[in-house]
Amino acid sequence: MDIILGIRVQDATIIATSKAATRGISILKDTDDKTRELNAHNLIAYTGEAGDTVQFAEYVQANIQLYSMRENDIELSPLATASFVRNQLATSIRSRKPYQVNCLIAGYDTKKDQPTLNWIDYLGTQVELPYGAHGYAGFYTTSLLDKHYRKDMVVDDGLKLLKLCLKELETRMPIDFKGVYVKVVDKDGIRSVELD
Amino acid sequence: MQTTVASEYSNEIHSVPIEHRFNPYSDNGGTVLGIAGEDFAVLAGDTRQVEGYSIQSRYEPKIFDVGDNIVMTANGFAADGVALIDKFRQQLKWYKFDNFGGKLEIKSAARYIQHLLYGKRFFPYYVSTLIAGLDEEGKGAVYSYDPVGSYEREQCRAGGAAASLIMPFLDNQVNFKNQFIPGTDGKEKKPLKYLTLEEVIELVRDAFSSATERHIYVGDGLEIKIVTKDGVRTEYYPLKRD
Amino acid sequence: MSDPFSINGGSAVAMVGKDCIAIASDLRLGNQSLGVSNNFEKIFGFGDKCFLGLTGLATDVLTLKETFRFKTNLYKLREERSIEPETLANLVSSTLYERRFGPYFVSPIVAGLGHKDNKPFICGFDSIGCIDFAKDFIVSGTASDQLYGMCESLYEPDLEPEQLFETISQALLNAVDRDALSGWGAVVYIVTKDKVVKRVLKTRQD
Repeated sequence: MDIILGIRVQDATIIATSKAATRGISILKDTDDKTRELNAHNLIAYTGEAGDTVQFAEYVQANIQLYSMRENDIELSPLATASFVRNQLATSIRSRKPYQVNCLIAGYDTKKDQPTLNWIDYLGTQVELPYGAHGYAGFYTTSLLDKHYRKDMVVDDGLKLLKLCLKELETRMPIDFKGVYVKVVDKDGIRSVELD
Repeated sequence: MQTTVASEYSNEIHSVPIEHRFNPYSDNGGTVLGIAGEDFAVLAGDTRQVEGYSIQSRYEPKIFDVGDNIVMTANGFAADGVALIDKFRQQLKWYKFDNFGGKLEIKSAARYIQHLLYGKRFFPYYVSTLIAGLDEEGKGAVYSYDPVGSYEREQCRAGGAAASLIMPFLDNQVNFKNQFIPGTDGKEKKPLKYLTLEEVIELVRDAFSSATERHIYVGDGLEIKIVTKDGVRTEYYPLKRD
Repeated sequence: MSDPFSINGGSAVAMVGKDCIAIASDLRLGNQSLGVSNNFEKIFGFGDKCFLGLTGLATDVLTLKETFRFKTNLYKLREERSIEPETLANLVSSTLYERRFGPYFVSPIVAGLGHKDNKPFICGFDSIGCIDFAKDFIVSGTASDQLYGMCESLYEPDLEPEQLFETISQALLNAVDRDALSGWGAVVYIVTKDKVVKRVLKTRQD
């Protein structure tokens, strides 16, 4: 199972996604990036059915960018972005072949100066959370996050907490997930971070 | 030329074998409840017995005085319940023969029932079992079991069809769960205290009239067995019959 | 296990008092056994003295919340007044019945006071819109059995707002404590003719 984790701190949201792309018993790739930039301040991280994930992420990416082009370069807020994604999934779940995609949306609201993390599953269940994960990663990490998460954390504290979670995942997960890509979304936009 | 006459049953020929399956269990409804007080214990149960949507009996008692100041009930599949209680009674008789008529303490009875239940681990008695009585210090005791013999001593327990309706009420009114001393901002719990027999009977009657109102498997009558140092006493209260 | 009504968990209850009503829900949202959020409210206001509680599949809770926000906003524009609880109940009913053969997996409850006469009104629905008009209380969600037991034994008619608050709170709290899929916080709305009070309750966190 792929790992996607998100932690919201005071001035940013951190996202970590596993690098392994697996199919059956094989690891096909160890440099798989399970995120797409929706716009300057919104990043989607996804897991789920192989073909559906990228198709879905790029579909919403295209539509959110199309919105900005049509509407005079207005950037969709994180809440609006998440609502749009939720709506697509909620419609899809009652269609003939639903998208089986779970995602986290890390955003930074430039108007309210607030970072956000939205948890959305393939049914269209959406919640705004301080930290969250999809799949088995949740079972291993939520207890750590419950214990160590503080409201006043900054990016560095968040990365420390993330490392704690990854250490646990490395010891407890039955298969090697080949490390993670870490991305931070803050007022300056989206950037990659190397964990040491 | 065809000499045989076509059978009337020619369409009864099956190309696949007919499968038979016997279901050894059924659900006879009813609900039971036990509460322990300081120097008494009660076991209560409704007296309705059902099968599907039919009422088989409006008065079929399921709380039994099994001797040695212990009352017992096994609610769920009635046949198994009766079988379990009969078996326990039988074994208690043998115990008395072997021990010169000595009293079986409730904690020993409790452990023994575990073995009766676990003895049928792979074809269980389909029942929620409760026993009530007094412990070695004379304090009220209620023991509750799952169908395969996992058991625990508790202050109170509801079992059977309406257990899910009654149990939270008991948490609230017997163990004072979610009750706090006013003005302490939810920091100081309402202190636990033993309820009097009168208070317990009122709670039991409220619990059963509420369960009767909302559950079709509960009703007709309420029979309560009260255990004190003076022995076992029975009370009966009518419940709604609809 | 794969029953859509109990994937996410959650419960709600509404009660009638003397010239007042109360409506309450827990705050848990889970994914099967894993708790995901402890801040998922299931009570939504439409107009100032009219509330809708939605339990069941969370995605449908969100979809219907938005649907009714849209529909009641349009209603307000056309009628130049807020929607009455009775009217909302019929709107909920017909909206659910439109999906008769592919239902939303929710058990809604409505509670409110009439805007002119301040008459208390509560009702509940099944997932395809059959209305259950009740004079006393309505329960819904994964702890509905427990709520029936609590409400049936604690409830009495004509309670004053503060007594009603205590009754509905105790009913909800003790019910969700016996349900693994409900709890993780609770919220209560007390609605009287001149004000709505919202209280967030301190609850067990297991």
